[in-house]
Amino acid sequence: MSTQPKQPKQPTQLMQPTPPTYSSPIILGIESATSRVGCAIGTPLGILAARESNKPRQHAESLVPQIAEILDEAALSFTDIDALAVDVGPGLYTGLRVGITTAITMAYALDKSLVALTSLELVAHAIRSPEHSYEQIDVVIDARRGEVFHAAFTSALKPISEATVAKPEDLAKKLAQEVPNTCLVGDGVEAYQAIFAQAGLSTNNATIYPSAETSVELAVAAVLANKTTEPAKVRPLYLRGPDAQPIVVPTRS
Amino acid sequence: MTVTASAPTDAPKATQVLGIETSCDETAAAVVESGSVLRSSVVSSQVELHALYGGVVPEVASRAHLDLIIPVVSAALAEAGQQLTDIDAIAATHGPGLVGALLVGVSAAKSLALVCDVPFVAVNHLEAHLYAAFLEDADLQLPMLVLLVSGGHTMLVLMQGQLRYRVLGATLDDAAGEAFDKVARVIGLGYPGGPAIDRLSTQGDPCAVAFPRALAKQGWDFSFSGLKTAVANHVRKNPNVARADVAASFQEAVVEVLVEKARRAAREFGVGAICLAGGVAANSRLRARTAEVCAADGLRAVIPSRAMCTDNAAMVAAVGWHRLQACGSASLSTGASPSLSLLN
Ligand SMILES: [Zn+2]
Repeated sequence: MSTQPKQPKQPTQLMQPTPPTYSSPIILGIESATSRVGCAIGTPLGILAARESNKPRQHAESLVPQIAEILDEAALSFTDIDALAVDVGPGLYTGLRVGITTAITMAYALDKSLVALTSLELVAHAIRSPEHSYEQIDVVIDARRGEVFHAAFTSALKPISEATVAKPEDLAKKLAQEVPNTCLVGDGVEAYQAIFAQAGLSTNNATIYPSAETSVELAVAAVLANKTTEPAKVRPLYLRGPDAQPIVVPTRS
Repeated sequence: MTVTASAPTDAPKATQVLGIETSCDETAAAVVESGSVLRSSVVSSQVELHALYGGVVPEVASRAHLDLIIPVVSAALAEAGQQLTDIDAIAATHGPGLVGALLVGVSAAKSLALVCDVPFVAVNHLEAHLYAAFLEDADLQLPMLVLLVSGGHTMLVLMQGQLRYRVLGATLDDAAGEAFDKVARVIGLGYPGGPAIDRLSTQGDPCAVAFPRALAKQGWDFSFSGLKTAVANHVRKNPNVARADVAASFQEAVVEVLVEKARRAAREFGVGAICLAGGVAANSRLRARTAEVCAADGLRAVIPSRAMCTDNAAMVAAVGWHRLQACGSASLSTGASPSLSLLN
């Protein structure tokens, strides 16, 4: 990336004629917790450029080139960025690590702070239907191996529960008893639709994935509220211990 | 041919390469100038973490790499007295190795390269081992024969010139280091097995048990699985056998096969030097025997320090410099290549 000052291009999502400068802070958001990988750059006025791809196991191949592309498209250089945002999970471990490594390394190199967001809050905040009459929002993300990641939010998006990992059957039973009128959302609902439907829960919402655009929106607010983290302190939210099986053939050298 | 002399004569400024290595259970970063001048080398070993499980656990390794990558990179820069702005290229191992572990190093290196606007170089871990010796002697003459022995690999490589080599032979079953780990388990030593057997062998008789020397006199390939089974059978039939004698006799069998084959290859291909590389090259008996045989045959023994034999990022930075000169930078869409082989 060149560090020379560039003239901003027309941001696509601004409603008014383009102002001559961007509003601050400028955030680079990185998302890689699910089978999708993406990034976005934006300001309090909106998203300037974004990419997302859905090629399984191609997170590492896709992400850094995507970031180069959106900076070019937004006519910005790395030095223009005020902070980075990253989804720390829970999610698919390898994808998560690619995104977090990229975010913390870039933040370290740029000496910028980071905003760490959970995949569950990113999905909750992406719900854009104010007319719904649900009691609460339950985000359910596919954790593979027959499990889901879960967290509950009020309809005003305040977190109610910590992020946990659960069997979909157990979660469905608990929610059906406690909050039958909940808004279930996330790719875990799609993956275990029959189980949630059988428990009498509504599974009609479109699947929402955590996205880099949402992370930029949330990070703008966090940066303005001074809620940032040092890059070296960011840790993934795994929610499960590592499989403790040593490889049969040790490859250490 | 010297490495430093092959640098472009019109380039007054030396090229600083930051290397990153995360292929298995060491998180490492290093700064190397012009392919052979070591500025810094930081290795954070996870061996104690994996010892709890008796072997490398891929998910544990990947998690540790992510936790360690920034501290290790910044320590390597600090030790070299440099800033990121002083670095001219970033090299990282992209294979072979554990996919989740490799992805941490590759992602970090590509991110640094993009932010700092410098080339990214993707390095083959096996090729990196071949270059470790140059960091301690930049004037090494080629061709030379390299015995690359580690937990995952056992190869006899004829290094003909810079980035030019021929793999003469490789293991048909277990790697040498793998045999050490398995035998250590059989005789009740902890993980990692290599250093434990090396230590115990000093108290044993290497001639106590005549373990088989598979393929010692034929071809260039290796086989250690029969030896490992022979040790297991011997211990089962002789439960009261001295463990130190078993360790020393096993080690002697491995070392004899490795060194005899290298010695024969040196003669056959008319090469004047045998070089050790890889984690098993830290073994005391292998080092001593290689030196003896080379002295007897009038060959040069190139035996790097133990730190250069085991996984490190200095060797990655060294190859990164050679690759950058020869092939230019790699694409930022490079991923991990867990089963990458050493191509000629
Ligand atoms: Zn190695």
